[in-house]
Amino acid sequence: MQLLDTFGVALRGILSNKTRSMLTMLGIVIGVGSVVLMTSLGASVSGLILGQVSSLGANTMVIFPSTVEGGGGVPRVGFDSLTFDDVTALSQLSTVRTLSPVIFVPGEATYGSQKSQPQVIGTTENFFINQSVTAKLGRLIDAQDDQGSRAVALLGPDTAKDLFGDQNPVGLRIKIKDSSFLVIGVANSLGSQFFQNADQRIYVPYSIAKAITGQRYVNYMTFTAATDSDLALADVNAFLRQRHKIINPLNDPKKDDFVVHSSKQAADILGSVSLSLTIFLTLIAAISLVVGGIGIMNIMLVSVTERTREIGLRKAVGARGKDILLQFLIESTLLTLIGGLIGIVSGVLLALLIALIAKKFLATYVFAVSFGAIFLAIGVAGSVGLIFGIYPARRAARLHPIEALRYE
Amino acid sequence: MTSIPLIETRTLSKSYFNEDVETAVLFDIDLRIEQGEFVAIMGPSGSGKSTLMHILGFLDTPTSGAYLFKGKPTVDLDDDALARIRALSVSFVFQSFNLLPRTTVFENVMLPLLYHPSIPEREREERVKHAIEMVGLTDRSGHLSNQLSGGQQQRVAIARSLVTEPEVIFADEPTGNLDSASGVAVMATLQELHRLGHTIILVTHEQTTAEFAQRIIHIHDGRIHSDTRNARQKSAAQVHALK
Repeated sequence: MQLLDTFGVALRGILSNKTRSMLTMLGIVIGVGSVVLMTSLGASVSGLILGQVSSLGANTMVIFPSTVEGGGGVPRVGFDSLTFDDVTALSQLSTVRTLSPVIFVPGEATYGSQKSQPQVIGTTENFFINQSVTAKLGRLIDAQDDQGSRAVALLGPDTAKDLFGDQNPVGLRIKIKDSSFLVIGVANSLGSQFFQNADQRIYVPYSIAKAITGQRYVNYMTFTAATDSDLALADVNAFLRQRHKIINPLNDPKKDDFVVHSSKQAADILGSVSLSLTIFLTLIAAISLVVGGIGIMNIMLVSVTERTREIGLRKAVGARGKDILLQFLIESTLLTLIGGLIGIVSGVLLALLIALIAKKFLATYVFAVSFGAIFLAIGVAGSVGLIFGIYPARRAARLHPIEALRYE
Repeated sequence: MTSIPLIETRTLSKSYFNEDVETAVLFDIDLRIEQGEFVAIMGPSGSGKSTLMHILGFLDTPTSGAYLFKGKPTVDLDDDALARIRALSVSFVFQSFNLLPRTTVFENVMLPLLYHPSIPEREREERVKHAIEMVGLTDRSGHLSNQLSGGQQQRVAIARSLVTEPEVIFADEPTGNLDSASGVAVMATLQELHRLGHTIILVTHEQTTAEFAQRIIHIHDGRIHSDTRNARQKSAAQVHALK
């Protein structure tokens, strides 16, 4: 018997009982569909996260004050641990470049009757380098503004829209916490950073922010590594520990009153979180593939029993055991492959639908399909059909022709 | 040619074993059937006639004794070799037709060709058409098997048994599930095939059916009781015409 004939016979076996074939396939459809959907969502979400992180600037590093253990193991918020002297000293380090301190100025901004609730950031011009901020209108804050403690403000695009609508705000004056500021420019859009809107900001000179808040510490600092980010990380850690008289040779984060993050590090952490989440969900989806395979085996066993007489007849007209074996194996494998294809199409369509909806809320969400996962799913589906088809097919092949023909 | 019979058995016996209990079904069967004969194996149910037919048709194997097919011993053949002989040399017509359901007449008749090792694909359609024509069902060839009457279904089964041009056609109670008119029509078809040179071995418990054969072998309790030429062979075509 030729392979093509066996194929035809197997296909006819599937088509002659369409409802049952569809129900049999359903497990595989759901299994493959969810594997494809999960891997696709995983790819989209990690793309989204990496996009958020890299919007900070690829080589940008951040120093935050951090919580330390006080006396008796009581945690103490070390929000005031980064001093102005630290800023000055750190900017002298050879591994550190474009260091910029940040002081938050609380309070809302007003222009006439228009109000906005921005994040007011007092910082230096290095900040704009670190975060790739450019001026869409007017100019950025420069060193002269800082040295002269000028009351000037650079608006984020969303803040500008809140206060001025479509009007050009450059040269107009706004009020922040009862102080009057001259608008010198509007920044380009940064989108969101770590899921916070970076466009809802107002930038003011560092010196002014110091004066308004009366603060003796900075809220955080950003810098870029002069050469290697790991080298800069180690250098800054050692330097700050020395200045703050912290002995911490084992790098225990609980002992430090500061923490240094690189965006690369954050990307790695978030990437590995999203990867393990994807693997976890895909594994769960894979379980449904196995369940689908058992469903296939179950139905194939029923089918073999139901078609015992047919098998007997085929043997009586000259079919060998291997012809019957092949017929049932091809039948189960075709079932899972067709189910797998339907699963892939529905998984991709579902992922596309989710992407279309998600795009409305997260502009940077991108539809992604993992082709590796698709090939894997097809391969697994085919193997499931083959593996779970072997037992029923062997049973069919071993039937004795007389007993099979007499089966009622 | 006359020296080597198509089928020859020597002290052939068959027993079934069920949990170490031996049930003997056939004892010391010595039988010769020549090419071109039309033989009826007759006996009541339980006599062992069907078992004998299954062994002669390579669906089953004897427990002891020899079975020579065209002079060659068959004792050493494995399952695949037996399947090959079934594909090439023998075919069956069953009491309950055993057609594939929800499948056309044409496809049912095609079935043995799928497993035939040497008939080329391009000859298939011609052979199927010819076999269907032989049993007079050309106008039904596109019908599904379950849309036909019992008599028509049995004729499809006969066409299926013809399509590979086997050396022997075994018919196991071919009229058992049919009314008498359809039964006679089926026997007329078998007689026609015999006239064209086919060797036919008929298994039946009905004297009236057996009388359409040339030679009648009576089996009783697993032994050959008598083996006679049928002096009163009837023509099924004539009987059919009378009805």
